[in-house]
Formats: sequence, structure tokens, C-alpha cells
Amino acid sequence: MYKLKLFFSGITLLLSGSALAFELDWQKALQVGGQTLQKVQQANRPVTEPQEIELGHGIAANLLGASPLLDNPGAQVYVNRVGRWLSLQTDRPDLPWQFGVLQSTDLNAFATPGGTIFITKGLLQRLTNESELAGVLAHEMVHVLSKHHLAALQKTARMNIASDLAGEVINDKGNPLLDKAVQAGTEVYARGLDKNDEFEADRKGIVIATRAGYDPYGLPAVLQMLDAANAQDSSLALMFKTHPAPRDRLNLLDKIMANNFDGYPAPDQTDKRYNSELAELK
Amino acid sequence: MKKIFALLLLGWFPLVVYAEQQVSYTVRATEIKQQPFSDAETVGMLLEKARVQVIQRQGGWVMIGSDQGDGWVKMLNLRSSSAKRGDSGLQSLFNLGRSGSSGITVATGVRGLSEADLQNAKPNPAELAKMQNYAADKNQAEKFARDGKLNAQVLDFIPANGN
Repeated sequence: MYKLKLFFSGITLLLSGSALAFELDWQKALQVGGQTLQKVQQANRPVTEPQEIELGHGIAANLLGASPLLDNPGAQVYVNRVGRWLSLQTDRPDLPWQFGVLQSTDLNAFATPGGTIFITKGLLQRLTNESELAGVLAHEMVHVLSKHHLAALQKTARMNIASDLAGEVINDKGNPLLDKAVQAGTEVYARGLDKNDEFEADRKGIVIATRAGYDPYGLPAVLQMLDAANAQDSSLALMFKTHPAPRDRLNLLDKIMANNFDGYPAPDQTDKRYNSELAELK
Repeated sequence: MKKIFALLLLGWFPLVVYAEQQVSYTVRATEIKQQPFSDAETVGMLLEKARVQVIQRQGGWVMIGSDQGDGWVKMLNLRSSSAKRGDSGLQSLFNLGRSGSSGITVATGVRGLSEADLQNAKPNPAELAKMQNYAADKNQAEKFARDGKLNAQVLDFIPANGN
């Protein structure tokens, strides 16, 4: 914050003491390619990885405030192993990846910055094998890998929070800037990401699942299930509100998968253990 | 139907057998194959918007029954209904079995993930700490993969516009 204040006071000095012409030049200088001052600042001040993780943990704590974890340690451990194995197929294998099954009977899944992923019990109950679970988790993991939620935060009216945060060392728990960012970040989950972010997560998610040895058609099969589900069902309300229609997502995968993903069957063993590890949920 | 069970026996990928038969429609003219792969014998032809019953899935293929014959078609040649979402009484009829057993009658208390719930959520750090205890490390993940006979594959991301 100290640096930021210096920056602003410098600008104030310049503005107050300058002629109009100078002020215009200054604006011009900052509006590189139509970018605003704020955007230039953000470009120069990326959120660091520790900040990303801290922000993500704050948002995760909020999501857990809305729905606690399912009380089923076996299912929690199992989902963590599937997810952690998937993470090793990504370019951010060293994030503190953690996965949680939420008690909620809604059908949904969430990712928070820095590698915390949630799937609801309601969605998990509708899946039929480990490849489908891997497809859902991999989709969520792409949101982390591509920092979609950080981008969404920066795009909103509260975009300055992320850059404010970037100027801060987050270590004390009472940081009001972090609290603001966490609150704004949590609201992104009610509003949803850009639909292109969702398409990207589908497109890359199937590749990550395939890299991990799973059936690439796990995620498309889940989307078929969602496409067939009753759109009026309230357990789907938030998911349908915050994602493109399953049909549109299927159309995209239809276009890009073609015949490139034939011949990647998942091992039988994964189906067997899926059924035994999650037997209590079914 | 006999034919369908005969086809079941031919399967060599892990199968997903659906609890209820799903009605789907083709989004393009589609060959019906005797087995779930592209160079298998073609045993029938479906026009666009043909109605089929989906019986099971195997990788990217689904086994179907239809008036034009039974066999395997590519999953992504099908969509679950030809109607637009939300405007069809027929669609909810088709999905009665699926939606009837889920959601609507469940107590709303355990939902907790509506838009308003998220906006009003108060942090639960105790649950977050619990969650961290379940996390797996790299060695556990690799062992898990070995136990499941999962082999890592080398594969690039696909550009947004396809090939």
C-alpha cells in the first residue's frame, strides 16, 4: 500500500501543478492501446502466487460457510487422490491442491484460486465412474490454472481490489483489503465466469483427464447427463445460471474432439474402486 | 432387444449402463455400427433428428436401440432432446425418472449453495482446516494411479477452433 500511495500522491502533485495540456499528455501516455490507468497498474502488479493461494483459501472458507464438507472421510480422501493425480498432469503441479466434497444436494462444482476444488454430493451422486469425476475435477482445475477467477475479479467494478492486494504482503489475518477481495471473490461464484472461460475449462479439462489415463469422454458424458436433466429442477439453478447451456458445451466438444480421442479407455480398476469407495453415497 | 444383449457381450471397454433408458436425438446423419469403433461394420443409418434409446456408454460410443436398428453410435452425435431447454413438457416427461429421484423433494436446509447463500456466506475456517487434512501428496497420488493402472499420456491442448 505504501508504494501505491506514493504513486498516487505523485500523480496528484503532477496534476495539481500542471497546465491542461500536460494533463492531457499524461492521460494519453497512460491510455496505452485504450487501457485505463487502472489496467496499466494491474498489468504491472500481478497477484503473486502466495496471494492467489491466500485469497483462494478465504473464498474457500466462505463456500464452506455456505455448505460444509460431507461427513464421509473415505469419499474425501478418494476425491483428493483423483484430483491430486490430475494436478500432476498440469503446469502447476506444486500448488497446494486440495479437493472437498460439499454436503450440498445441489449439482455443482467450484474452483477457488490457488488450487482448492469443490464438488457437491449432489453432483457426485449423479456420476457413474472415476473418469467422469476426473472430467469434472479437471474442468475446475483449468479455472485455477488459467486464473479465471482472478481475471473476473479484475474485470468488475471491484477490479482495483486485486491490484491493491498485489501491493500488500498478506500475512496478518486482519487484513481488510484481503477481506474485501475475498468478499468480492465469493460474489463471482454467484454471478459466474465468462462463458469463454467455461468453454476453455471444458476444452482443456478433457485433455488433462486424458493425460492422467482417464476416458476423455467422462466430461462429455456428465454434460449429456446435465443436458438430459430437468432444467426446472432447483438443484441445478445456480449451475445453469452460471454456466453456458450443457448443449452449447457439448456442441463445442463435439467440434474439437472429432476422432482425436478414440482409443483411451480407462482401466477397469478405476471403475471398480469408484464403486467401492463411494458405495455409501450411492 | 435380443440383439442388444448380444452386442453387450462384445464390449471390451468399461461399460456404463444407464439406470433408465434415455431418449436422445441425432444432431446429424449417423451410422449405426455393430461395435463401438469407427471401422466396425455399419448396420444401419440414422437421419438427423432421429429418436433413439440410449442403453449404455463405452468411451465415446453409446449403444442405442432405434426404429432403424440397434448398435453403437458416437455419443457426441446425440443430444438428449431436440427441444429447446425449458420450453418443453415433453422434455420433463423424458426426464421423469432422472429428476424424480433427485432434488425437488430434498430438504432445502442442506442445499446452501443458492446465489443468496453464496452472497451471505460467513467463513468457516474450521471446515477449511479439516479439508486440508484430507489432501493427498504427490507420492500418494502416484501410488493411487499405479493401483488403478492409470498411465500418464502425453497430449497437447487443442486450439479453441479445433484441429
